[in-house]
Amino acid sequence: MRKAGLIALALVLSVSWTLNAQDADTLAAASVWSVQVFPVVRPAEQVDLSAAVAPPDQVADVLRRFTGVQVKDYGGVGGLKTVNVRSLGSEHVGIFLDGIQVDNAQNMQVDLGRFSTDGMFMVSLYNGQKTRRLQTAKEYASGAAVHLDAAPPLLVDRDAGKVRLRGGSFGTFQPSIQWDRSCGPVILRVSAEGVVSDGKYEYPYYDTTLVRENGDIRSFRLETTLFGRLRQGDWRIRLYGYGSERGFPGPVVRRALGFPFSAERQADRDLFVQGGWNQDWTTRYSTAVKFKFADDYTHYDTHPEKNPMALPYDLHYRQRSGYLSVAQSLILADSWSLDLATDLQRNALDTDAGQSVTPRRTVFTGALAIRAAWERFRTAAHLVYLGAWDHFQTPQAGGWSREDAFRDAWMPSLSFFYAPFPFLELDAFLKRTYRLPSFNDLYYSLMGNASLVPESAAQAGVDIQLKHGSGPWTWKGRVSPYLNRVTDKIVAIPTASQFRWTMLNIGTVDVAGLDAKAEVGYDRKEWKLEAVLRYSFQRALDHSDVSGSTFGNQIPYIPLHSGGIDLATGWKDWSFHWQTELVGAKWSRTANTPDYYIAPWTVSDVSLSRKMSLPLFRHRVSVPEVNVDLTVRNLFNHRYQIVQGYPMPGRNFMLTVTYLW
Amino acid sequence: MLLLLCGSLCLCACRKDPVPETPSKDADLTGQYVDVSSFPESFRKIFLLNEGGMGSNNATLDFLRLSDGMYVSGAFRKMNPDVAAGLGDVGNDIAVHGDEVWIVVNNSGLVEVVSARDETEIAAVPVPTPRAVAFDDRYAYVTSWAGAYATGSYDENGNYSVTDSRNPKGQVYRIDLKTRKVDGSVEVGYQPEGIAFYDGKLYVANSGGISSQLPPDYAYDNTVSVIDTKSFKVTQTVDVQVNLKNVYSDGKGNIYVTTLGNYWDVHSGLYRISTKAGSGDTVSKVGDYVSVSALCGDTVYCIGTDTEFDWTATHVYKAWRVQDGNRADWPLDVSATVPYGLCALDADTFLVGDAGDYFNPGSVSCYSKGARIWNVNAGVCPGHFAVY
Repeated sequence: MRKAGLIALALVLSVSWTLNAQDADTLAAASVWSVQVFPVVRPAEQVDLSAAVAPPDQVADVLRRFTGVQVKDYGGVGGLKTVNVRSLGSEHVGIFLDGIQVDNAQNMQVDLGRFSTDGMFMVSLYNGQKTRRLQTAKEYASGAAVHLDAAPPLLVDRDAGKVRLRGGSFGTFQPSIQWDRSCGPVILRVSAEGVVSDGKYEYPYYDTTLVRENGDIRSFRLETTLFGRLRQGDWRIRLYGYGSERGFPGPVVRRALGFPFSAERQADRDLFVQGGWNQDWTTRYSTAVKFKFADDYTHYDTHPEKNPMALPYDLHYRQRSGYLSVAQSLILADSWSLDLATDLQRNALDTDAGQSVTPRRTVFTGALAIRAAWERFRTAAHLVYLGAWDHFQTPQAGGWSREDAFRDAWMPSLSFFYAPFPFLELDAFLKRTYRLPSFNDLYYSLMGNASLVPESAAQAGVDIQLKHGSGPWTWKGRVSPYLNRVTDKIVAIPTASQFRWTMLNIGTVDVAGLDAKAEVGYDRKEWKLEAVLRYSFQRALDHSDVSGSTFGNQIPYIPLHSGGIDLATGWKDWSFHWQTELVGAKWSRTANTPDYYIAPWTVSDVSLSRKMSLPLFRHRVSVPEVNVDLTVRNLFNHRYQIVQGYPMPGRNFMLTVTYLW
Repeated sequence: MLLLLCGSLCLCACRKDPVPETPSKDADLTGQYVDVSSFPESFRKIFLLNEGGMGSNNATLDFLRLSDGMYVSGAFRKMNPDVAAGLGDVGNDIAVHGDEVWIVVNNSGLVEVVSARDETEIAAVPVPTPRAVAFDDRYAYVTSWAGAYATGSYDENGNYSVTDSRNPKGQVYRIDLKTRKVDGSVEVGYQPEGIAFYDGKLYVANSGGISSQLPPDYAYDNTVSVIDTKSFKVTQTVDVQVNLKNVYSDGKGNIYVTTLGNYWDVHSGLYRISTKAGSGDTVSKVGDYVSVSALCGDTVYCIGTDTEFDWTATHVYKAWRVQDGNRADWPLDVSATVPYGLCALDADTFLVGDAGDYFNPGSVSCYSKGARIWNVNAGVCPGHFAVY
């Protein structure tokens, strides 16, 4: 593996030197600004957290405000939260932290509940292809992408920081601290956050009311980031550690008195170091190197001694990964640029689960992108190659032997942007991506099927944006119709003997959808107003088996209609935010029968905050300030479930006090 | 792994009692009309337990009323609106005893007793992870995996508390048929499944379905525990084959046990324990490949496929039967369904539960004289039948 990595690196470097040499005959640098500055397409949704009025504390809550996004939430502070974009399935959504993918080779589910907006600067969603200079190859290789970006603090030879205390319902206490220090060309940021919550809340249990038990969590995160500036470049390194211990309250079912729903606990310890280095070697040629090493450990225990209904599992998992990406970008001519990104990743999973193997996966991702940008028209074509080698250590007892496997896929995509008038912008994209089968799909004991092929998602979409401004007013409108097709969808079904399930590439889903958004803003003197109306239509039909009884039905958990209303108001130091989420009827099964019908629901959250400059320090250059924010979630105490069997909390409160200096 | 619990078990006893006509509270329930003209006339109802999906709380009870050919879905919920949570999570076994239907609801930790006449609830007995039920004159016996993780005891109010969490073995709980309360338990093998009563003895199939996943041995159980009902103690342990599932008594001294195999090199199959007095128990293999099975009279009917471990193959199911230990071909073409549950009403009439994609509601097909005569919609994973 190390050898292969070195060879790949050597190849990449040799290419870069050649290109660098070619660059000697410089063309007029002044005409190339357009390709460098503008991305070909804009993100479908983007939030600048530093400028937003009352931004949410959790990334999952930011994503909930995005059109076309479904956040699957199992409820509670420690409950799993995953994101699904345009009915593709959460495995097709890449989550990127500073351009480096947060991944999980075991089950391909990234728990967004673990990300706070602390230290984040920008959260963006790309439906089509994100296409900028110096992306990693993996950034081209997912069906939809959520980007979480930290920005270097703007400091000149001083320090700054933030202490935040947050607490409220469910016995939640969540303190955090962030400290930035500038030392010449290097800025150091240290941040830490803890969460303690007992996770208790009332929920309706058939004809009575119960309290959700075993949903408590304790977690701690410690991060250090170094931001550095170079003459023609920059670099950053992030060291990250996260530990948590939590309970899973389990699905709500009929259960005999005296037997608890669940006593399951999970302890996690995630460590990673990641970094990047961007360098402009000439006005035309630039490179970006990114890397990540991660070591994640999980202990899952069903605690049968506390729950006679539990299946007795006490399992340990350790995932390790190493990742290196080298991206190069060359400005070919006036408006043309060429990018080559090559990524190499190695994943390893070790577990003491019975009869499971210890898979090792080496993934090569290579992306070639060509872009052209003129004043009103921009376009890009991308071709990505994905190759994955799986091989094994000796399996444990049980007799399964696994053959080494190789899977590969080509993923082409095209993006267009056209702005015929200053008030009208048009985007279009065509894209085909694949997601690899996870280790669980392939090798989970008693279930995996090593002959799976990657699951494919083909997408086509158009995006029409209108905007207009006059005086303090701005109006924006966006309509985005799209068509998706997921084929070779990996689905679990039992084998002939029923007790042994397996995974097969048998699913097909066709999605025809539309995202629409209307925004109006007002900004004058002490007043700031923002109103957003969102609507999403998703017809996601099961087209797996023409003779099947569910052919042509809406797939589970995708509402045909959904939307939301956001209102934000700022007046002097006060700000007020109202958010209503509307989710239409859906079903928990592909059989769209009354038994599996989930009624529409709406949930409204409201928050009020005030910023105060501390008068004691008025004479200083930078004035420390205190922010106080009170958020009431689920204001009307609506009882609902996003995932059937997992009740969501009723009305709850959170008070946040932040001190910034 | 949890999906393993979504299993099938069918115990179907042929009865030859005369059927009295009595008006019943469930007479107004209607459903889908099916042709029952070719059915044997000795039954009033055929009950079908749909397992549902684990964690989905969607086990349902259907029945087919022979007087008017009405197939009624979700009868438990319709007749027991006060039981707000419905039948519960994962129905694992159903059996008729007298005028009562006993339903084992695995992940609810309940054995639900309802009236066979009108499906109204009589009692709900808490038993930790119950799997299957059998009867003698005084007691119902319920196999339980509880010992796989915890053993406990009941106080006078019927509340359960854990006393030993280290014991990995299963239990058979004894429920008094008069008081409908748990009255003792006996330890058997690892993760017991099927149970049958014959001649003062209970035969319990131990699977080891969980112990096969756990250190140190990662091994299935391969034994049948024999319990003497008088002393309520295990008197004998018979080695059969790995991963045992269903047990049937033919009433003539033969105990038939199915195995699921180890999904690797030991195939599913049917074994016979011969309990002839004086000669001691002898174990012999009857045949390979059992996906579903059912008892009728002294005959066990089996349907299986020889490509069971090839998960991507299109499975061709073959039917066969055994009587007095002799295997014979049984010409039944079930290729229109993926069999998940089986009910034998007589030598010519069979019901086959089809689980479809196992996630959405399935269906039931009726086969008469080898031909498929009708098919009705059922619940999720229609796996277990009982006749009244």
